Amino acid sequence: MKILATIRKELLLLLRDMGGLAMIFLMPLILVTVMALVQDAPFRDYQDLKFQVLYVNNDKDSLGEVFEHSLREAKNLELVTNVNGLSITKEQASELVHSGKYKAAIILPQNASKTLNKKVKHSVAQLMANFGFGDEVKDTVDNREIAIELVFDPVTKVNFKLAISNAIEKIAANAQSKLIIENLKTQMAALGSEQKKQVIDFSNSLVVKETEQPSTAIATTNSVQHNVPAWTMFAMFLILFPLAGNFIKEREEGSMLRLRLISGSSFPVIAGKYLFYFMICLLQFALMMAIGIYLLPKLGLARLSLGTNYEGVVLTAMAVGIAATAYGLLVAVFFKTHHQALAFGSVSVVLLAALGGVWVPTYVMPPTLQAISHFSPMSWGLEACNDLFLRNANTAAILPNILRLVCFGGVLLILSFVIYKSRETKG
Amino acid sequence: MSIAIALNKVVKTYTGAKQPAVQGLSLQVNEGEIYGLLGPNGAGKSTSVMMICGLTPYSSGEINVLGFDAKNKSATIRSLIGVAPQEIALFPTLTAAENLTYFGNMYGLRGKKLRETIAHYVEAFGLTSKLNEQVASFSGGMKRRLNLIAALLHEPKLLIIDEPTAGVDIHSRNLIIDILKGLNHKGMTILYSSHLMEEAEKLCTRFGIIDEGKLIAEGTREELLQQNTNCKDIEELFLHLTGKSMRD
Repeated sequence: MKILATIRKELLLLLRDMGGLAMIFLMPLILVTVMALVQDAPFRDYQDLKFQVLYVNNDKDSLGEVFEHSLREAKNLELVTNVNGLSITKEQASELVHSGKYKAAIILPQNASKTLNKKVKHSVAQLMANFGFGDEVKDTVDNREIAIELVFDPVTKVNFKLAISNAIEKIAANAQSKLIIENLKTQMAALGSEQKKQVIDFSNSLVVKETEQPSTAIATTNSVQHNVPAWTMFAMFLILFPLAGNFIKEREEGSMLRLRLISGSSFPVIAGKYLFYFMICLLQFALMMAIGIYLLPKLGLARLSLGTNYEGVVLTAMAVGIAATAYGLLVAVFFKTHHQALAFGSVSVVLLAALGGVWVPTYVMPPTLQAISHFSPMSWGLEACNDLFLRNANTAAILPNILRLVCFGGVLLILSFVIYKSRETKG
Repeated sequence: MSIAIALNKVVKTYTGAKQPAVQGLSLQVNEGEIYGLLGPNGAGKSTSVMMICGLTPYSSGEINVLGFDAKNKSATIRSLIGVAPQEIALFPTLTAAENLTYFGNMYGLRGKKLRETIAHYVEAFGLTSKLNEQVASFSGGMKRRLNLIAALLHEPKLLIIDEPTAGVDIHSRNLIIDILKGLNHKGMTILYSSHLMEEAEKLCTRFGIIDEGKLIAEGTREELLQQNTNCKDIEELFLHLTGKSMRD
């Protein structure tokens, strides 16, 4: 009954504390929405975004057409062949890219098709002569490279540059292969070979197939899948502010003294506070998940996927709640003043968040930081969420992280009681 | 006459302190009296009160409250006593009713009995109309009265009050003194700690004056003034015994 009375009292106090309510519910809501929106583009990693790329076709022949056709098929590129109704020159393209108006320009040299055709024809003839078909080739061919120029905006990310370069190289290789096959067929036909009747097609012989997801996976990582659970961990640990703030305020104002004067009141008071803020943590978790599911899609972002293991999701929320509330309680009992508690609290929560992969995923951190990140309770919570949301893990798979969080919470809780009792005894 | 509080050669030395806060203090509060524990700042009044309540452990000596040893039975003692500390030990954003209900619940009271007790005391202390208002909006006197009610909810046998009228107007002060006298008439023992000598003289039946952690005088008003014939009241006696120099 005393615990319930304390829970009721804490609820009344919180309902009348607009600042505390904002800190617990409004701030995380804004934080997760803003961060998901801001980090949406970097998380897409140029896969879903369309970039305008200038295309200068100085070849004006078959190779130029092949390139234009292939580049238009690339889903993340929007090919721009003329500006203000006029076709672009190489110089104009370079200028436009360097001024930052376009991310890149692809410039095909003059006579690229003719030169390539000549080279291929010569090489095929030489090859056939080596095999004993046809006469020996005596004339020489121009050995200079056909250089396709790529111009990039200096601020362009390396990933984007690589993606464009790879795409161009792939188109060039394909075009070259096709031309070789065509020439081979033509020259063999000229020799009267039966081979001309056979279709030579290597296009489907070697293909790259992406199988990054196991059959159980249900979502891919994106801004929402990272930011919602990550900032939920952060928000839950922010519970230390109202918890420690109220605790120290009650100690300073004397109401804690009155409670100490009431027989056997330490346990129900502490337990009531702990349970109340633990429930607030669960409420925060539910609210943040609801934002990911219902609000963020309305802002043009992906919908948060919780996976199918809801029991695991509830377990994770409870485990993070246990750890976060215990952390807040320890700060509350350890520090004697508001100033000390809030200064330590804010710095430590930000540090735990940074190390735990809240700001940026741990896999992009240097190896040393990745190793350190395993000691952050936020990282345990986040890993459990990723396992559930992205890998559709079963409860057994998330159990190690759940146990870590519960043990962390348990140790801090015991420590809080020991410190509280020792201060109480010292008077 | 039974003894409500008995301190026998009690010593309390805080960790790191050069001097003991309380040095061999012995005093006795009889059941049914209002005992005025008087002393200048730093005399050891608060430490003594905290030791009696079982919140501060003592280094040596004996403390017995309502027949229970303060060292081993502090929880039992706390359930039998009511303490109104000098601080307004209330939650400012809760209403008077919410505060009293919460503290009542913490004393193990609930339901009709608690509601009736609250109604009785708020009526007696003139706070019925303010019951559903937040404490933050109360005047100093109203907060003091509510602070006192919170210590009375479980109807303690012994009431310990520290500066119960600090910062309140004359009307509130008189009301508080009248109510305390009324409670004492009904059999409640009161240990009263204050700097206000005039108020102590009006209220208390016996006095204990302590300084530098030691009891320097004890007795009724008449006994004390007989021992110091040059003093005409408790205030003069207090200044005579403790000196006129400033205390921090």
